[in-house]
Amino acid sequence: MLGLLLVVLIIPYLIAAYGLLFVKLRWGLRLFGAFIVATIGLLTAMFLVEAYPIIARDGVAVFLRTSWDPARESYGVLQALAGTVLTSAVAMALAMPMALGVAVTINEILPARLRGIFGSLVDLTATMPTVIYGLWGLFVLGPTLQSLINYLPGGMMTSPYTLFTAGVLLAIMITPYAAAVIREGYALVPKPVEEAVYAVGATRFEAALIKLRYVRNYILGGFFLALGRAMGETVAVAMVVGGNYARFTTNIFESGVTISSLIALQFPNAASYQYMVPALFAGALLLTLFGLAINAAAIYIIQKWQI
Amino acid sequence: MTAARKLINWLGLGLFALLGVAAVVPLFLIIGDIYIKGIDAINRLGGLWHFLTALPPTPFDEKGGIGPMLVGTLYMTALGALLGIAVGFPLGVYIGEMRREKFANVSRAAVNILVEFPTIVVGLFVYAVMSLAKQSLNQYLLDPLSKALSPVGGWITQFIGPLDGFNAYAGAAALAIIMIPYVALITASAYASIEQQLREAAYAIGGREFNALFVVLRKAVSRAVVTAALLGTAKIAGETAPLLFTAFGNTYYAPFTGPTAAVSLWIWYAAQTPYSVQIASAYGAAAVLLTIILIIFIVARIRG
Amino acid sequence: MFTWSKTFYQVTGGKIQVNYQSIGSGAGAAQFLGKNLDFGASDVPMPKDKYQQVAGQFVQFPVIIGSIVIAYNVPEIAYQKTGKYLNLTAEVIALIYMGNITQWCDPRIKALNPGLADKLPCKDIVAVHRSDGSGTTAAFTLYLSKAYPAWNQTVSWGYTVNWPADQKAKGTGAKGNEGVAQAVLQTPYSIGYIEFAYWATNKDKYDQVGGVAFVRNDNDGKYYFPTTENVAMGAAAGLERYIKKYGAPPAPDADWNPVSIEFSNPPQGYPIVSFTYVFLWKDYAAEGYGDAATKAALLKAFFRWVLTEGQKPENIVEGYIPLPSSIANIGLEALNMVKP
Repeated sequence: MLGLLLVVLIIPYLIAAYGLLFVKLRWGLRLFGAFIVATIGLLTAMFLVEAYPIIARDGVAVFLRTSWDPARESYGVLQALAGTVLTSAVAMALAMPMALGVAVTINEILPARLRGIFGSLVDLTATMPTVIYGLWGLFVLGPTLQSLINYLPGGMMTSPYTLFTAGVLLAIMITPYAAAVIREGYALVPKPVEEAVYAVGATRFEAALIKLRYVRNYILGGFFLALGRAMGETVAVAMVVGGNYARFTTNIFESGVTISSLIALQFPNAASYQYMVPALFAGALLLTLFGLAINAAAIYIIQKWQI
Repeated sequence: MTAARKLINWLGLGLFALLGVAAVVPLFLIIGDIYIKGIDAINRLGGLWHFLTALPPTPFDEKGGIGPMLVGTLYMTALGALLGIAVGFPLGVYIGEMRREKFANVSRAAVNILVEFPTIVVGLFVYAVMSLAKQSLNQYLLDPLSKALSPVGGWITQFIGPLDGFNAYAGAAALAIIMIPYVALITASAYASIEQQLREAAYAIGGREFNALFVVLRKAVSRAVVTAALLGTAKIAGETAPLLFTAFGNTYYAPFTGPTAAVSLWIWYAAQTPYSVQIASAYGAAAVLLTIILIIFIVARIRG
Repeated sequence: MFTWSKTFYQVTGGKIQVNYQSIGSGAGAAQFLGKNLDFGASDVPMPKDKYQQVAGQFVQFPVIIGSIVIAYNVPEIAYQKTGKYLNLTAEVIALIYMGNITQWCDPRIKALNPGLADKLPCKDIVAVHRSDGSGTTAAFTLYLSKAYPAWNQTVSWGYTVNWPADQKAKGTGAKGNEGVAQAVLQTPYSIGYIEFAYWATNKDKYDQVGGVAFVRNDNDGKYYFPTTENVAMGAAAGLERYIKKYGAPPAPDADWNPVSIEFSNPPQGYPIVSFTYVFLWKDYAAEGYGDAATKAALLKAFFRWVLTEGQKPENIVEGYIPLPSSIANIGLEALNMVKP
């Protein structure tokens, strides 16, 4: 019955929210805000409920352990968190410069005719199905990166599928999201500001830098959209990240696993074990907490920058 | 202007251009790869029309297609996009327009967190809700509804009726949840970027707030909103993980109240088999999916 | 399974659709028990704790035999170059994945391969395993557990295990059989376990960079090459051993975990053998399925076809081995237990 109530209440709620838009706009809008907060709340509640068995058994050890041993029903998600952090870091380090490059290229460098086409191309990168990215990563990117990296002394990549591969693939996938947000802001820099910048004799490059600084809140917004996407990407990462659970590694040229891909890789068979499903949801919980922390940091940064 | 500044100008712009192009180069590589193999596959597997309507091939078949997958993806993506836009757009307006409010910032944080959930988990959530609700939903709502609608014709049972544990609507719901943050955030950016003078002018002309925000400012934000809707729709058309435990997948034409096929699920499965016919069909399916997305794009660019 | 479904669909003139999706053996069992699916399929029998919950209410039976091969990538001794494949034993394979044997020129590998001993290079072995939970891993580790007791004590078996090679040596994971197959093909000096079909359809590529191993059956001491006949031999020998031990062929509603243990590492034949099992309820109406009588009748018709016509060579996809009739009969017996 609970489920029925849940499902049946959603439609009237949304209709009511819409109706309210026409009557008392602000309250109607707030209802939508409440909807999303409630959704997050429900999702987190689900994580807590599902993860409870293993937290009851192991306490916080499950968040601190680094080995994954189903045969002995011993699970730890710390190495997955490390993997998420590392791949996201690599992805963001590569993606943000590219996103900035896209925004500047479209708005400053390209002639008007080409802007639409180039912009569409970038958007198209965003819409490519993740499974296709995964396939390309599996067959093309992984082996290519392995050959490239192994030219350097040391032969660091022992396998085509490592955290680095996942990071690079993620960078390609998330750039358009950051770029879309930055482009919006960049194009909306007010004319007076732009004219003033050129009036003081700036070169195109300097103007670009100034405008980027002007839209830094968009850059921040794009940053967090892309970061969220990188942390949540499941399928493509699962196909190229390598799957080395047994060891905590900070070397990005080794195989590893992220929390999202851990869930994708292990969930299908998790029901056969007693504590694996709770462990996976504990991982999801950890990811949520991590996301909360990042968001808190974001709010702090925004306040500091007085945006 | 000194020579040094000129040089920096060229170098700097060159760097930006390089980065911008670098963002797009993999796209060409992937698209090229998919289309070359995909078009070849479609020809081998029976030609375009056959490919779009026939059942998927087994390792023994020489011809095959993705008919059920196409239908399933179109249906679930359309539903999911409708719901995603319906919730995402007002949400974006709220976050962008009323960002002084504390609750708006809380909502924005919630949206940011939603973006980073592993997509498979969203599917599991919908699955959990569906498991809870299925029994009573079928008993109290859908059974009587489908009986009441039966005079309309037998075909209605393809769409409305008692739901199985895995069905197209669960898939659409999962896709909608995934789409909402993207639509919301891009819409929010658009609304937040409207200059204050423009906003004041809109209020002056528009009178009621609703008029001002949605009617008068329409032109200013429509491009961004259309982008948001497009990006979101195309993104969920290609999603795989959320459908695994909601729509489950199918290899036949079947009612939407039961397990439903999807192009992305077929690509996921077929590309990881060792049989060349099925791998070929995966590439053909990928080519079809890309083409659909391209068409959506071009249509919107022409209009917008 | 998909092939059977489609062939059956064509055979019945498009009347019966059997929708099969691979979501993983554990999910197959779980969704079946959760009554979201009409039948479940899995690479391992119903786990013991779940079996005890529903004992007597359902049947399980094998529908096809699969196998796992050990492929390797060592260019110096590639089949195309030397015309020879490596010989390996369960012990050596286990030691590689435990991280105790770390280089190809290890004396234990050389001892098994006198003909190739001087060509084996002293390079680190990259041991590739699955990153996702997988029935292939389960069958492979079950074999190692049975054939080499030290493995059983340190690692044990399951859909996913804690591979010591990841910590001690160069172990790495890849997703899916396809991922492992690609990783081995692309990474020099690697070794990996993959389903028979993935090697059989790409045999030439593997022969260029390395090849596939002859595996020694420790029970009769002979080295077997992975072929359909050798695997069938293994399956039949396993059944014989089970009958000798327990007196009768396994019953469809019994717990099949002891069965799969007997079938692993059989007395003769290629020793790595795995079954795909199907789960059916005995009484669909009592379990609460809608439209139970029709469903049960359809399922019985489909699986009867699978166990008889479906086992004919023209209906078996490459890389899989049909059931010997003694085992297929168990399935037919199971169908008789399904009401009506």
